[in-house]
Amino acid sequence: MLRILLIDDTEKKVGRLKTALIEAGFEVIEAGNLSIDLPACVETVHPDVVLIDTESPGRDVMEQVVLVSRDRPRPIVLFTDEHDPDVMRQAIQAGVSAYIVEGIQATRLQPILDVAMARFESDQALKAQLLARDQQLAERKRIEQAKGLLMKMKDCNEEAAYTLMRRQAMSRQQKLIQVAEQIIAMSEMLG
Amino acid sequence: MGCYVCCMPLYCERSRNSVNTALPTTPLAWVNGSDAPEKPSLDIGFMALTDCASVVVAATQSFAQPFGLTLNLRRQASWAGLRDKLVSGELDAAHCLYGLVYAVHLGIGGVPASPLAVLMGLNQNAQAINLSAALQRKGVTNPEALTRLVHQQGARLTFAQTFPTGTHALWLYYWLASQGIHPLRDVSSVVVPPAQMTAHLQAGRIDGFCVGEPWSADALAKGQGFTLATSQSIWPDHPEKVLACARGFVEQYPNSARALIQSVLAAARFIEQSQENRRSTAQLLSGSAYLDTPVDSIEPRLLGDYQDGLGHRWHDPHALRLFDQGRANLPYLSDGMWFMTQFRRWGLLRDDPDYLGVARQVQQLALYREAASALGVPCADLPMRSSLLLDGRRWDGSDPHGYARSFPLHALDAAPDARASH
Repeated sequence: MLRILLIDDTEKKVGRLKTALIEAGFEVIEAGNLSIDLPACVETVHPDVVLIDTESPGRDVMEQVVLVSRDRPRPIVLFTDEHDPDVMRQAIQAGVSAYIVEGIQATRLQPILDVAMARFESDQALKAQLLARDQQLAERKRIEQAKGLLMKMKDCNEEAAYTLMRRQAMSRQQKLIQVAEQIIAMSEMLG
Repeated sequence: MGCYVCCMPLYCERSRNSVNTALPTTPLAWVNGSDAPEKPSLDIGFMALTDCASVVVAATQSFAQPFGLTLNLRRQASWAGLRDKLVSGELDAAHCLYGLVYAVHLGIGGVPASPLAVLMGLNQNAQAINLSAALQRKGVTNPEALTRLVHQQGARLTFAQTFPTGTHALWLYYWLASQGIHPLRDVSSVVVPPAQMTAHLQAGRIDGFCVGEPWSADALAKGQGFTLATSQSIWPDHPEKVLACARGFVEQYPNSARALIQSVLAAARFIEQSQENRRSTAQLLSGSAYLDTPVDSIEPRLLGDYQDGLGHRWHDPHALRLFDQGRANLPYLSDGMWFMTQFRRWGLLRDDPDYLGVARQVQQLALYREAASALGVPCADLPMRSSLLLDGRRWDGSDPHGYARSFPLHALDAAPDARASH
């Protein structure tokens, strides 16, 4: 039976993942929130596989585990929120291949991956590149327009107008586009 | 021709109308479109640290737009995650630990060797080694007292850093060794994510730590210790974070890469243009989307106003440098080589790499020089610089092999298990 160390230190609820893994016939040991204890935990638990969220801050600690035990590595499987199986595969290619030892066959890992993927499938839509590009163009026009208005109002040059807008944006923890919209709205109101 | 901003002739209003009307007022060959970014929208990773400032300001304050780029900020929870996304291409570029880039490039750590590139330096200085309030109460408030304590029988202190091959590990190791403390044998060294340092201090799990701002200032503000040594006291104007990407990114999208350097360099210049801009930058960084930390933990040290938690206050002449007329940004070959000498010194590399050859592959000096000159930012002629470190050793990149062997404390022949001790 494969022994799985499940690192649960993000906000996601991994409860169902744990149950699913146990139902699938794996021995699951859960590591607590304290990532500092991970190296010791790996040492005592001797897991066959480590399951960790790609977004977990504990991943840097696992990095140390890998370095310390690089002559006897353990497979580490990441679970991600990405909907796209290609992204999952990419993550595995990038981060996990080095952890997989000869003794463990990819076919034995597959059910774990399947379960992890099923659990963390998210409805997050893929990035709409077209939309992003349209937005970039639109934003750029608005910023130019606001800059022009400000140059007129403050009788200043382009650089000074940009600096004013940026300082304002940064002090309010906003993006430049937000301040640009405020300037345009104000100017429309004052007519 | 298509639109140089979005490469989509069918959908772009600009290319349907006039190509010239809204062209940015930048130099270079924008007019004929030959330098247009091949990829117009880039995903940029960063960690919640003060020294990500130039990247965040570039992305949010539209410094990339004139170069036909949109920068999408992606905050990361761990350096390992950031690294994996750089390697897989999920991130186009990222705010990254200098040492981490070389570790990935050379295949040290959890992933196979993967060629990375340093586009530019993001900052110098502004990291610090801190000790716990418990040690402070015991009177361990200077290097001599710490050294005495470490060498006492039965005392085994635990020091935290942020990544096994990162800059903080190396500053911590270098500083401890300069005090006669072997970082891998005399103390325990553990990894703790920056934002969790104070919690571990409070619980007494660690006795000291090396971390980037604002997390030292934050620990002090919470009464959780004091600053024993700044990283700039180890090496004034040391290299720290870089803008890194996969080598494949530079090869496939050289114009995007150049435009990205220009955007971030322009933002860095803007931040250091005035105290007012620096203050606004601190305000921006404190936002929940970025550092999510009170501005009081960010602003003072960003402005160079230090206090160590023991009552000493000073204005640090080598505080955070994001620009310094381009001196903080040139990707010197000697800076990259230094990290490899330390990997060798501490046994993370079992053999000497081709120090100069590897640095030449990684540091994108030519591309940086093009980008900087287009912005009128001065560039040093030489690819090496000479620095004096706190132990009196000079590093100028001329003899990396000898330099790596010049330290009385080292782990050159370390067995694998001694590499990170427990």
